[in-house]
Parts: sequence; structure tokens; C-alpha cells
Amino acid sequence: MAAGAVSRLSRLLGQSRPPRGRPMSSGSHGEEGSALMGKALTFFVALPGVGVSMLNVFLKAQHGEHKRPEFIPYPHLRLRSKPFPWGDGNHSLFLNPHVNPLPTGYEDE
Amino acid sequence: MTHQMHAYHMVNPSPWPLTGALSALLITSGLMMWFHSNSIFLLVLGLITNILTMFQWWRDIIREGTFQGHHTPIVQKGLRYGMILFIISEVLFFTGFFWAFYHSSLVPTTELGGYWPPAGIKPLNPLEVPLLNTAVLLASGVSVTWAHHSILEKDRINAIQALIVTISLGLYFTLLQIMEYYESPFTIADSVYGSTFFMATGFHGFHVIIGSSFLFICLMRQLKFHFTSNHHFGFEAAAWYWHFVDVVWLFLYVSIYWWGS
Repeated sequence: MAAGAVSRLSRLLGQSRPPRGRPMSSGSHGEEGSALMGKALTFFVALPGVGVSMLNVFLKAQHGEHKRPEFIPYPHLRLRSKPFPWGDGNHSLFLNPHVNPLPTGYEDE
Repeated sequence: MTHQMHAYHMVNPSPWPLTGALSALLITSGLMMWFHSNSIFLLVLGLITNILTMFQWWRDIIREGTFQGHHTPIVQKGLRYGMILFIISEVLFFTGFFWAFYHSSLVPTTELGGYWPPAGIKPLNPLEVPLLNTAVLLASGVSVTWAHHSILEKDRINAIQALIVTISLGLYFTLLQIMEYYESPFTIADSVYGSTFFMATGFHGFHVIIGSSFLFICLMRQLKFHFTSNHHFGFEAAAWYWHFVDVVWLFLYVSIYWWGS
């Protein structure tokens, strides 16, 4: 009976409720509302936020390429308890010769 | 002709569970062969059979649900429970890596210098690319919600647009992470810092790729008119998975990138 009253009230207010087939939505983004709001949020909030972050990264990168730290053969770094199963077994997968030294030192020194 | 007198789905016999299990065996034994016996044959065979299984099994589910009408409301309910349970299992999977991280970082051993980040480790600045990555994933969470509302409101064009935005953001995240991996001054072999960092972020990245692929399939299905405004569970499952991936990233960002630096 209460449910009937609620639905009559909704119709009076002229609202179109989206179908109930959405039992789950993420807490922070799941607002009851139209797709238009989602589109507005995407293009006026979310994507500009991404743009600002991109600008931030770009500016920080301009700040200056720092000199790479000198090589200290710490025993807890550049561990090789077992060779890597590719190449010569001594290079990690994303190894960047400019910033990642091998256990014996930088490769391009 | 006999009719079923219930609303459940009695699935026809299918070979895909068997091929899936065999592919899992091939992948695990293949990894062992690769690590210890320098042979990638079993691994490649396992990966191929795995991909074929996934393609054919999910294709059959789409046929049964979208084209043959077997996914009644109660069947859909079961699928929902299934997806929720799967995501919970994934949460537990990541919990393990977070446990490992906190175990090592809350009480750094003397071998590391007694502090965290360990001696000789220069962590990534959390306010540079990691912050951009956070913005990208949060934005994709907004756009996938836009996509969902569009589907609910029978707005085909907007649903397609929103899915494209979401997938593009996912790809952008992946590209940024690959770049970060390549530019990083530390590797996976650099003490437990490197191990925990790359295991946690690596598996997360893998899940981003899975999530993006799932959303891409949804885009293809939306283009082919598979979804209706009140029956689009495949999309909802993809959206739930995507939000899960986003939440894991937020935890990663706060724990490893921010607190851990």
C-alpha cells in the first residue's frame, strides 16, 4: 500500500525513474540520475582533471633531468638468486641501461 | 517436443571446462619448464589453449543468453552472485600482496638499513605520473557510469561514446604504466621493495588489461545490439570489474606510492 502511494507520488512529480535493474554501483560515482549528468561529469570534471594532471607531469618533467645516483654495490639490491629465464639471465624485464645498473655497475659507463 | 517446466538453465554438455582445466595444467607446468628447463613450448601451448577456451566458452554463453533466451531473471541472479564472488576472490588475491608489502615495510630489516624505502632506493614521486594515473582511472569510473546510464536510457550513441572513452582511458593508463616501468630507477630484483612494488602493481596492470578487454567486448556487443535497457548483465559485470580495478589502484597509490615513499 505504501509502495502504491510512493509510485503515485512519483508520477505526480513527473519523474521518470530508471528501471530497478541496477543493484550495484560504485559508491563514489553511482548517482541516481540521467546519462546526461554522467556525460557532463565526464567531459567537465573527469577529463579536465586528467588534463590538469597531464599538465602537471609535463611541467615537472621540464624541471630538469637529474644526474643518476652513483653506483654503490649494496648487497640487498640487484639480487640474482636465480638467473632470469630470458636473455643472459642478468637483465630484468624492463631494464633501462641508463638508470638501472647491473650487479656489477651501470652498463653504459 | 518436451518443454522445461522451470526457469533455470540446464546447460548443454560442453568441452570448455575440460579444455580450460587442461590449459591451466599446461600453463603451470609450462612456467616450470621455462624457469628450470629453458623451454617455452608447454607455456605457449597452454596460453593458446587458454585463449581458445575463453573465446569459445564466453561465445557460447553469449549465444545461450542473448540469442537463445536462457538467461531468465533467476539465471541472471545466479550470474550476479557468481561475478560478485569472483571479485571477492580477487580482492583476497590482492590482499595477499598488500600484506606482503606492509609486512616488509612497517618493520624494515637491518639489511635494508632499518628504514623504508630501503637504502639505495629512490622511489617514484607520487605527485607525478602516479597522480595522473589516479586521475585517469577515476575519470574512467565516471565514464563507465555514464555508459551504464546511457544503456538504461536506451541511448545507443551515448553508450558507445562512453564505452570508447572508458576503454581509451584504460589503454592510456596501461601505456603510462609501461613507460613508468621502463623509466623506473629500481627493478624487481632490488630488495623486497622492488619485489612488493612490481608484484602488486604488475598484477594490477594485468587486471587493467583484462578489464579493458572485457569492456572492449562489451563495446563490440553494444555495436551489435546485444544489450537491452533492462538486460545487459555482461556490461554490468564488466563495469563492476572495472570499479574493482579502480579501487585496487587507489589502495596501491595510497599504500605503496604515497605512504611507502
